[in-house]
Amino acid sequence: MTYVHLAGIESGYGFFAPNVPGTCKLVFELHYPDGRTETRVPAVSSHASGLRVATLLDKIGRPQYDSLREVIIKMLASAVWREHSDAKMIRAVFGVVTLPTAEEFEHGVRESSEFLYSYDFAFQPDEPKQANP
Amino acid sequence: MRRSEFWKQRLIGFLFPPESDNWLALLRFGLGLQVVLYCLSIRKDWTYLLAGNGGLISRNLSERIFALESPLIPRLGWIVTLGGHFGLSEESILSIVWYCLVTAGCFLFLGLFSRAAAIATWFLHLAVLKSADLLSYGMDNLTTIGLFYLMLSPLPDRCSLDWQWRKSRPKHRDLLGFWRRVLQTQMCLIYFFGGLAKCLGPGWWNGINLWRALTRPPFDLISADILVRFKHFLPITGVAVWLLEIGYPFLIWHPRLRRPWLIAILLMHAGVGIAMGMYLFASVMIVLNLAAFGPGILWHRTQAPDDGSSFSGSMVPSPKN
Repeated sequence: MTYVHLAGIESGYGFFAPNVPGTCKLVFELHYPDGRTETRVPAVSSHASGLRVATLLDKIGRPQYDSLREVIIKMLASAVWREHSDAKMIRAVFGVVTLPTAEEFEHGVRESSEFLYSYDFAFQPDEPKQANP
Repeated sequence: MRRSEFWKQRLIGFLFPPESDNWLALLRFGLGLQVVLYCLSIRKDWTYLLAGNGGLISRNLSERIFALESPLIPRLGWIVTLGGHFGLSEESILSIVWYCLVTAGCFLFLGLFSRAAAIATWFLHLAVLKSADLLSYGMDNLTTIGLFYLMLSPLPDRCSLDWQWRKSRPKHRDLLGFWRRVLQTQMCLIYFFGGLAKCLGPGWWNGINLWRALTRPPFDLISADILVRFKHFLPITGVAVWLLEIGYPFLIWHPRLRRPWLIAILLMHAGVGIAMGMYLFASVMIVLNLAAFGPGILWHRTQAPDDGSSFSGSMVPSPKN
Protein backbone atom coordinates (compact mmCIF):
# COMPACT_ATOMS: atom_id res chain seq x y z
CA MET A 1 0.00 0.00 0.00
CA THR A 2 2.77 2.42 0.94
CA TYR A 3 4.73 1.59 -2.22
CA VAL A 4 1.89 2.49 -4.59
CA HIS A 5 1.55 5.89 -2.91
CA LEU A 6 5.30 6.52 -3.04
CA ALA A 7 5.39 5.60 -6.73
CA GLY A 8 2.29 7.63 -7.59
CA ILE A 9 0.43 4.62 -9.00
CA GLU A 10 -2.39 4.35 -6.47
CA SER A 11 -5.03 5.90 -8.72
CA GLY A 12 -6.44 4.75 -12.03
CA TYR A 13 -5.78 6.31 -15.40
CA GLY A 14 -9.34 6.77 -16.61
CA PHE A 15 -9.18 10.53 -17.03
CA PHE A 16 -12.61 11.72 -18.19
CA ALA A 17 -13.62 8.08 -18.70
CA PRO A 18 -15.88 6.34 -19.35
CA ASN A 19 -17.94 9.55 -19.13
CA VAL A 20 -17.22 13.18 -18.41
CA PRO A 21 -19.08 14.02 -15.20
CA GLY A 22 -21.17 17.15 -14.69
CA THR A 23 -19.45 20.10 -13.06
CA CYS A 24 -20.16 20.54 -9.38
CA LYS A 25 -20.77 24.04 -8.13
CA LEU A 26 -20.76 25.54 -4.66
CA VAL A 27 -22.29 28.92 -3.92
CA PHE A 28 -22.33 30.65 -0.55
CA GLU A 29 -25.15 32.98 0.47
CA LEU A 30 -23.86 35.37 3.09
CA HIS A 31 -26.54 36.73 5.43
CA TYR A 32 -25.72 39.91 7.37
CA PRO A 33 -27.34 41.19 10.56
CA ASP A 34 -28.91 44.14 8.68
CA GLY A 35 -30.75 41.78 6.33
CA ARG A 36 -28.37 42.12 3.38
CA THR A 37 -27.51 39.02 1.38
CA GLU A 38 -24.50 38.45 -0.84
CA THR A 39 -23.35 35.48 -2.86
CA ARG A 40 -19.77 34.23 -3.08
CA VAL A 41 -17.96 31.27 -4.58
CA PRO A 42 -14.69 29.73 -3.29
CA ALA A 43 -12.00 32.09 -4.59
CA VAL A 44 -8.32 31.56 -5.38
CA SER A 45 -5.73 33.68 -7.14
CA SER A 46 -4.80 31.77 -10.28
CA HIS A 47 -6.19 29.53 -13.00
CA ALA A 48 -3.98 26.66 -11.76
CA SER A 49 -5.43 26.97 -8.25
CA GLY A 50 -8.90 27.24 -9.76
CA LEU A 51 -8.43 23.84 -11.42
CA ARG A 52 -7.66 22.41 -8.00
CA VAL A 53 -10.74 23.91 -6.41
CA ALA A 54 -12.85 22.55 -9.28
CA THR A 55 -11.28 19.13 -8.64
CA LEU A 56 -12.17 19.39 -4.96
CA LEU A 57 -15.81 20.23 -5.75
CA ASP A 58 -16.04 17.33 -8.19
CA LYS A 59 -14.60 14.99 -5.57
CA ILE A 60 -17.03 15.98 -2.84
CA GLY A 61 -19.91 15.52 -5.27
CA ARG A 62 -19.12 11.80 -5.50
CA PRO A 63 -21.03 9.30 -3.35
CA GLN A 64 -17.86 8.08 -1.61
CA TYR A 65 -17.44 11.55 -0.11
CA ASP A 66 -20.90 11.58 1.48
CA SER A 67 -19.48 11.40 5.00
CA LEU A 68 -16.86 14.09 4.36
CA ARG A 69 -18.92 16.48 2.27
CA GLU A 70 -20.39 18.47 5.12
CA VAL A 71 -17.03 18.73 6.90
CA ILE A 72 -15.30 20.02 3.77
CA ILE A 73 -18.07 22.45 2.89
CA LYS A 74 -17.95 23.77 6.45
CA MET A 75 -14.21 24.39 6.01
CA LEU A 76 -14.87 26.19 2.74
CA ALA A 77 -17.61 28.25 4.39
CA SER A 78 -15.21 29.17 7.20
CA ALA A 79 -12.68 30.37 4.61
CA VAL A 80 -15.33 32.64 3.08
CA TRP A 81 -16.45 33.85 6.51
CA ARG A 82 -12.90 34.90 7.41
CA GLU A 83 -13.10 37.33 4.49
CA HIS A 84 -16.59 38.49 5.51
CA SER A 85 -16.56 38.17 9.27
CA ASP A 86 -19.54 40.49 9.74
CA ALA A 87 -21.84 37.86 8.21
CA LYS A 88 -23.94 36.06 10.80
CA MET A 89 -24.92 33.09 8.69
CA ILE A 90 -23.66 31.40 5.54
CA ARG A 91 -25.81 29.08 3.49
CA ALA A 92 -23.80 26.73 1.30
CA VAL A 93 -25.67 25.52 -1.76
CA PHE A 94 -24.07 22.58 -3.55
CA GLY A 95 -25.27 21.47 -6.95
CA VAL A 96 -24.27 20.08 -10.28
CA VAL A 97 -24.24 21.97 -13.56
CA THR A 98 -25.81 20.03 -16.41
CA LEU A 99 -24.37 20.95 -19.80
CA PRO A 100 -26.38 20.79 -23.02
CA THR A 101 -25.26 18.60 -25.90
CA ALA A 102 -24.02 20.29 -29.10
CA GLU A 103 -27.44 19.80 -30.72
CA GLU A 104 -29.26 21.20 -27.69
CA PHE A 105 -26.85 24.14 -27.61
CA GLU A 106 -27.67 24.91 -31.24
CA HIS A 107 -31.34 25.02 -30.30
CA GLY A 108 -30.72 27.57 -27.61
CA VAL A 109 -30.51 25.26 -24.59
CA ARG A 110 -27.93 26.46 -22.07
CA GLU A 111 -26.43 24.98 -18.92
CA SER A 112 -28.75 24.34 -16.01
CA SER A 113 -28.03 23.83 -12.33
CA GLU A 114 -29.44 21.02 -10.29
CA PHE A 115 -29.68 21.52 -6.54
CA LEU A 116 -28.15 18.69 -4.47
CA TYR A 117 -27.46 19.83 -0.91
CA SER A 118 -27.75 22.90 1.28
CA TYR A 119 -26.07 23.59 4.59
CA ASP A 120 -26.54 26.52 6.98
CA PHE A 121 -23.63 27.63 9.10
CA ALA A 122 -24.16 30.20 11.86
CA PHE A 123 -21.13 32.30 12.83
CA GLN A 124 -20.15 34.60 15.67
CA PRO A 125 -17.57 37.36 15.28
CA ASP A 126 -14.61 35.23 16.43
CA GLU A 127 -15.16 31.69 15.25
CA PRO A 128 -17.67 29.35 13.66
CA LYS A 129 -20.29 28.56 16.28
CA GLN A 130 -22.60 25.96 14.93
CA ALA A 131 -23.35 23.99 11.82
CA ASN A 132 -26.92 23.23 10.86
CA PRO A 133 -27.05 20.92 7.88
CA MET B 1 15.15 -26.44 -22.25
CA ARG B 2 16.63 -24.58 -25.19
CA ARG B 3 13.33 -22.85 -25.83
CA SER B 4 13.05 -21.68 -22.21
CA GLU B 5 16.65 -20.48 -22.36
CA PHE B 6 15.87 -18.64 -25.59
CA TRP B 7 12.89 -16.82 -24.04
CA LYS B 8 14.86 -16.08 -20.90
CA GLN B 9 17.54 -14.43 -23.01
CA ARG B 10 14.88 -12.51 -24.94
CA LEU B 11 13.34 -11.29 -21.71
CA ILE B 12 16.69 -10.23 -20.29
CA GLY B 13 17.50 -8.55 -23.59
CA PHE B 14 14.21 -6.66 -23.44
CA LEU B 15 14.53 -5.60 -19.80
CA PHE B 16 18.23 -4.68 -19.87
CA PRO B 17 18.96 -3.21 -23.30
CA PRO B 18 22.13 -1.17 -23.82
CA GLU B 19 21.06 2.45 -23.60
CA SER B 20 22.40 5.98 -23.74
CA ASP B 21 21.38 8.50 -21.13
CA ASN B 22 19.57 10.89 -23.49
CA TRP B 23 16.20 9.85 -22.13
CA LEU B 24 17.35 10.41 -18.56
CA ALA B 25 18.63 13.90 -19.39
CA LEU B 26 15.23 14.68 -20.92
CA LEU B 27 13.38 13.31 -17.91
CA ARG B 28 15.56 15.22 -15.45
CA PHE B 29 15.40 18.45 -17.41
CA GLY B 30 11.67 18.20 -18.05
CA LEU B 31 10.63 17.25 -14.55
CA GLY B 32 12.84 19.92 -13.01
CA LEU B 33 11.12 22.52 -15.16
CA GLN B 34 7.73 20.95 -14.45
CA VAL B 35 8.19 21.19 -10.69
CA VAL B 36 9.33 24.82 -10.88
CA LEU B 37 6.33 25.74 -13.06
CA TYR B 38 4.02 23.85 -10.71
CA CYS B 39 5.33 25.84 -7.75
CA LEU B 40 5.04 29.14 -9.60
CA SER B 41 1.51 28.34 -10.79
CA ILE B 42 0.14 28.15 -7.24
CA ARG B 43 2.61 30.49 -5.55
CA LYS B 44 -0.02 33.04 -4.47
CA ASP B 45 -2.29 30.37 -3.01
CA TRP B 46 0.43 28.09 -1.62
CA THR B 47 -0.18 28.79 2.07
CA TYR B 48 -3.93 29.15 1.55
CA LEU B 49 -4.16 25.69 -0.05
CA LEU B 50 -1.79 23.91 2.33
CA ALA B 51 -2.49 25.44 5.74
CA GLY B 52 -3.56 23.26 8.63
CA ASN B 53 -5.77 26.05 9.96
CA GLY B 54 -6.97 29.23 8.35
CA GLY B 55 -6.70 28.07 4.76
CA LEU B 56 -9.21 26.96 2.15
CA ILE B 57 -9.58 23.51 3.70
CA SER B 58 -7.48 21.99 6.45
CA ARG B 59 -4.46 20.02 5.35
CA ASN B 60 -4.95 17.86 8.45
CA LEU B 61 -8.00 16.17 6.93
CA SER B 62 -6.07 14.62 4.03
CA GLU B 63 -3.13 13.78 6.28
CA ARG B 64 -5.32 11.90 8.75
CA ILE B 65 -6.92 9.90 5.96
CA PHE B 66 -3.50 8.89 4.62
CA ALA B 67 -2.18 8.15 8.11
CA LEU B 68 -4.90 5.50 8.38
CA GLU B 69 -3.71 3.92 5.12
CA SER B 70 -0.03 4.01 5.98
CA PRO B 71 2.00 6.02 8.49
CA LEU B 72 4.95 6.04 6.06
CA ILE B 73 3.36 8.18 3.32
CA PRO B 74 5.21 11.56 3.35
CA ARG B 75 3.19 14.58 4.39
CA LEU B 76 3.78 18.21 5.23
CA GLY B 77 2.68 17.62 8.81
CA TRP B 78 6.05 15.92 9.46
CA ILE B 79 7.96 18.99 8.33
CA VAL B 80 5.64 21.40 10.16
CA THR B 81 6.04 19.40 13.38
CA LEU B 82 9.82 19.33 12.95
CA GLY B 83 9.95 23.06 12.30
CA GLY B 84 7.74 23.66 15.33
CA HIS B 85 10.53 22.27 17.53
CA PHE B 86 12.71 25.13 16.26
CA GLY B 87 10.03 27.73 16.97
CA LEU B 88 9.02 28.21 13.34
CA SER B 89 5.42 29.04 12.52
CA GLU B 90 3.42 26.94 10.08
CA GLU B 91 3.33 29.80 7.57
CA SER B 92 7.13 30.15 7.68
CA ILE B 93 7.61 26.42 7.21
CA LEU B 94 5.24 26.29 4.24
CA SER B 95 7.17 29.15 2.64
CA ILE B 96 10.45 27.33 3.29
CA VAL B 97 9.01 24.18 1.69
CA TRP B 98 8.02 26.22 -1.38
CA TYR B 99 11.54 27.68 -1.72
CA CYS B 100 13.12 24.25 -1.13
CA LEU B 101 10.93 22.67 -3.81
CA VAL B 102 11.75 25.42 -6.31
CA THR B 103 15.45 25.14 -5.48
CA ALA B 104 15.39 21.34 -5.81
CA GLY B 105 13.57 21.71 -9.13
CA CYS B 106 16.20 24.18 -10.37
CA PHE B 107 19.03 21.86 -9.30
CA LEU B 108 17.30 19.04 -11.13
CA PHE B 109 16.90 21.21 -14.21
CA LEU B 110 20.60 22.07 -14.15
CA GLY B 111 21.74 18.60 -13.13
CA LEU B 112 23.54 19.82 -10.07
CA PHE B 113 23.71 17.29 -7.24
CA SER B 114 21.27 15.36 -9.39
CA ARG B 115 20.63 12.39 -7.11
CA ALA B 116 20.07 14.48 -3.97
CA ALA B 117 17.94 16.94 -5.95
CA ALA B 118 15.83 14.10 -7.39
CA ILE B 119 15.21 12.58 -3.96
CA ALA B 120 14.43 15.97 -2.38
CA THR B 121 12.09 16.94 -5.22
CA TRP B 122 10.26 13.61 -5.09
CA PHE B 123 9.89 13.75 -1.29
CA LEU B 124 8.74 17.37 -1.07
CA HIS B 125 6.42 17.10 -4.06
CA LEU B 126 4.89 13.91 -2.68
CA ALA B 127 4.46 15.45 0.78
CA VAL B 128 2.68 18.46 -0.73
CA LEU B 129 0.57 16.22 -2.99
CA LYS B 130 -0.56 13.95 -0.16
CA SER B 131 -1.26 16.81 2.23
CA ALA B 132 -3.39 18.49 -0.43
CA ASP B 133 -4.82 15.27 -1.82
CA LEU B 134 -8.37 16.63 -1.96
CA LEU B 135 -7.09 19.38 -4.27
CA SER B 136 -4.89 17.19 -6.44
CA TYR B 137 -5.61 15.74 -9.86
CA GLY B 138 -4.01 13.43 -12.44
CA MET B 139 -1.12 15.74 -13.26
CA ASP B 140 0.20 15.46 -9.71
CA ASN B 141 0.23 11.67 -9.79
CA LEU B 142 1.97 11.63 -13.16
CA THR B 143 4.64 13.99 -11.84
CA THR B 144 5.15 11.66 -8.86
CA ILE B 145 5.53 8.70 -11.22
CA GLY B 146 8.19 10.54 -13.22
CA LEU B 147 10.05 11.75 -10.13
CA PHE B 148 9.98 8.27 -8.61
CA TYR B 149 11.64 6.67 -11.63
CA LEU B 150 14.05 9.57 -12.00
CA MET B 151 15.16 9.19 -8.40
CA LEU B 152 15.90 5.48 -8.94
CA SER B 153 17.64 5.87 -12.31
CA PRO B 154 21.44 6.03 -12.63
CA LEU B 155 22.11 9.76 -12.29
CA PRO B 156 23.91 11.92 -13.30
CA ASP B 157 23.53 11.99 -17.09
CA ARG B 158 26.15 13.47 -19.37
CA CYS B 159 24.19 16.68 -19.98
CA SER B 160 24.15 17.54 -16.29
CA LEU B 161 26.47 19.95 -14.52
CA ASP B 162 27.41 17.04 -12.29
CA TRP B 163 28.96 15.29 -15.29
CA GLN B 164 30.38 18.36 -17.02
CA TRP B 165 31.57 20.35 -14.05
CA ARG B 166 31.87 18.07 -11.03
CA LYS B 167 33.09 15.13 -13.14
CA SER B 168 30.68 12.88 -11.30
CA ARG B 169 29.76 9.56 -12.93
CA PRO B 170 26.88 7.16 -12.24
CA LYS B 171 27.70 3.86 -10.57
CA HIS B 172 25.30 1.64 -12.49
CA ARG B 173 25.08 2.89 -16.06
CA ASP B 174 24.15 -0.63 -17.11
CA LEU B 175 20.73 -0.01 -15.53
CA LEU B 176 19.93 2.91 -17.86
CA GLY B 177 18.12 0.59 -20.26
CA PHE B 178 16.20 -1.14 -17.48
CA TRP B 179 14.80 2.07 -16.01
CA ARG B 180 13.86 3.33 -19.43
CA ARG B 181 11.99 0.08 -20.03
CA VAL B 182 10.18 0.55 -16.72
CA LEU B 183 9.11 4.05 -17.74
CA GLN B 184 8.07 2.80 -21.20
CA THR B 185 6.01 0.01 -19.65
CA GLN B 186 4.40 2.46 -17.25
CA MET B 187 3.42 4.75 -20.14
CA CYS B 188 1.95 1.81 -22.06
CA LEU B 189 -0.15 0.83 -19.03
CA ILE B 190 -1.36 4.41 -18.53
CA TYR B 191 -2.50 4.78 -22.14
CA PHE B 192 -3.93 1.29 -22.50
CA PHE B 193 -6.17 1.55 -19.46
CA GLY B 194 -7.00 5.19 -20.17
CA GLY B 195 -8.07 4.27 -23.71
CA LEU B 196 -9.91 1.15 -22.57
CA ALA B 197 -11.90 3.09 -19.97
CA LYS B 198 -12.84 5.68 -22.59
CA CYS B 199 -14.03 3.20 -25.20
CA LEU B 200 -16.29 1.47 -22.66
CA GLY B 201 -18.59 4.49 -22.53
CA PRO B 202 -20.72 5.60 -25.51
CA GLY B 203 -19.74 9.24 -24.97
CA TRP B 204 -16.30 8.77 -26.54
CA TRP B 205 -17.86 7.21 -29.66
CA ASN B 206 -20.49 9.84 -30.42
CA GLY B 207 -18.52 12.97 -29.53
CA ILE B 208 -20.62 13.88 -26.48
CA ASN B 209 -17.76 13.41 -24.04
CA LEU B 210 -15.39 15.54 -26.08
CA TRP B 211 -18.03 18.27 -26.27
CA ARG B 212 -18.63 18.05 -22.53
CA ALA B 213 -14.91 18.04 -21.73
CA LEU B 214 -14.37 21.18 -23.81
CA THR B 215 -17.44 23.07 -22.59
CA ARG B 216 -17.15 22.08 -18.95
CA PRO B 217 -16.02 24.82 -16.57
CA PRO B 218 -13.17 25.51 -15.86
CA PHE B 219 -11.94 23.88 -19.10
CA ASP B 220 -14.21 25.93 -21.37
CA LEU B 221 -11.52 28.16 -22.84
CA ILE B 222 -12.99 27.79 -26.32
CA SER B 223 -16.41 29.35 -26.68
CA ALA B 224 -19.21 26.83 -27.22
CA ASP B 225 -20.44 29.08 -30.06
CA ILE B 226 -17.20 28.39 -31.92
CA LEU B 227 -17.00 24.75 -30.91
CA VAL B 228 -20.50 23.94 -32.12
CA ARG B 229 -19.45 24.77 -35.69
CA PHE B 230 -17.15 21.75 -35.56
CA LYS B 231 -19.68 19.38 -34.00
CA HIS B 232 -19.43 16.89 -36.87
CA PHE B 233 -15.74 16.41 -36.13
CA LEU B 234 -16.35 15.61 -32.46
CA PRO B 235 -17.24 11.90 -32.90
CA ILE B 236 -14.21 11.36 -35.16
CA THR B 237 -11.90 13.15 -32.74
CA GLY B 238 -13.38 11.31 -29.74
CA VAL B 239 -12.78 7.92 -31.37
CA ALA B 240 -9.31 9.04 -32.46
CA VAL B 241 -8.44 9.91 -28.85
CA TRP B 242 -9.21 6.49 -27.41
CA LEU B 243 -7.80 4.70 -30.46
CA LEU B 244 -4.54 6.60 -30.02
CA GLU B 245 -4.45 5.66 -26.35
CA ILE B 246 -5.47 2.03 -26.61
CA GLY B 247 -3.16 1.47 -29.58
CA TYR B 248 -0.18 3.10 -27.89
CA PRO B 249 1.23 0.02 -26.09
CA PHE B 250 1.16 -1.97 -29.35
CA LEU B 251 2.06 0.48 -32.07
CA ILE B 252 4.66 2.52 -30.21
CA TRP B 253 6.98 -0.47 -30.80
CA HIS B 254 6.17 -0.83 -34.50
CA PRO B 255 9.12 0.27 -36.67
CA ARG B 256 6.99 2.25 -39.13
CA LEU B 257 4.13 3.45 -36.94
CA ARG B 258 5.88 4.42 -33.74
CA ARG B 259 7.06 7.79 -35.00
CA PRO B 260 3.66 9.02 -36.27
CA TRP B 261 1.99 7.49 -33.21
CA LEU B 262 4.28 9.30 -30.80
CA ILE B 263 3.89 12.59 -32.69
CA ALA B 264 0.09 12.17 -32.65
CA ILE B 265 0.13 11.54 -28.88
CA LEU B 266 2.32 14.61 -28.32
CA LEU B 267 0.00 16.73 -30.46
CA MET B 268 -3.01 15.40 -28.57
CA HIS B 269 -1.49 16.49 -25.26
CA ALA B 270 -0.49 19.86 -26.67
CA GLY B 271 -4.06 20.26 -27.90
CA VAL B 272 -5.49 19.36 -24.49
CA GLY B 273 -3.16 21.86 -22.86
CA ILE B 274 -4.10 24.70 -25.19
CA ALA B 275 -7.82 23.97 -25.58
CA MET B 276 -8.57 23.15 -21.95
CA GLY B 277 -5.98 25.24 -20.11
CA MET B 278 -4.39 22.14 -18.60
CA TYR B 279 -0.88 23.33 -19.33
CA LEU B 280 0.88 21.42 -16.58
CA PHE B 281 -0.97 18.21 -17.37
CA ALA B 282 0.05 18.56 -21.00
CA SER B 283 3.65 19.37 -20.18
CA VAL B 284 4.18 16.43 -17.83
CA MET B 285 2.71 14.00 -20.38
CA ILE B 286 4.91 15.44 -23.11
CA VAL B 287 7.98 15.14 -20.87
CA LEU B 288 7.20 11.54 -19.93
CA ASN B 289 6.54 10.58 -23.55
CA LEU B 290 9.67 12.27 -24.85
CA ALA B 291 11.79 10.63 -22.17
CA ALA B 292 10.25 7.19 -22.63
CA PHE B 293 10.18 7.02 -26.43
CA GLY B 294 11.65 10.21 -27.90
CA PRO B 295 15.33 9.17 -28.24
CA GLY B 296 15.47 6.61 -31.00
CA ILE B 297 12.08 7.54 -32.48
CA LEU B 298 12.08 11.31 -32.89
CA TRP B 299 15.85 11.64 -33.12
CA HIS B 300 18.90 9.41 -33.21
CA ARG B 301 20.37 8.45 -29.92
CA THR B 302 23.96 9.48 -29.39
CA GLN B 303 26.68 7.65 -27.60
CA ALA B 304 28.02 8.88 -24.29
CA PRO B 305 31.48 10.39 -24.84
CA ASP B 306 33.41 8.29 -22.38
CA ASP B 307 31.17 5.36 -21.86
CA GLY B 308 31.07 3.44 -25.11
CA SER B 309 30.64 0.10 -23.42
CA SER B 310 27.11 0.85 -22.29
CA PHE B 311 25.49 1.57 -25.62
CA SER B 312 25.12 -0.47 -28.77
CA GLY B 313 23.62 2.27 -30.93
CA SER B 314 20.61 0.17 -31.86
CA MET B 315 17.54 2.17 -32.83
CA VAL B 316 14.93 -0.53 -32.42
CA PRO B 317 13.41 -0.89 -28.98
CA SER B 318 12.57 -4.53 -29.46
CA PRO B 319 13.46 -7.63 -27.45
CA LYS B 320 16.59 -7.94 -29.59
CA ASN B 321 18.29 -4.86 -28.24
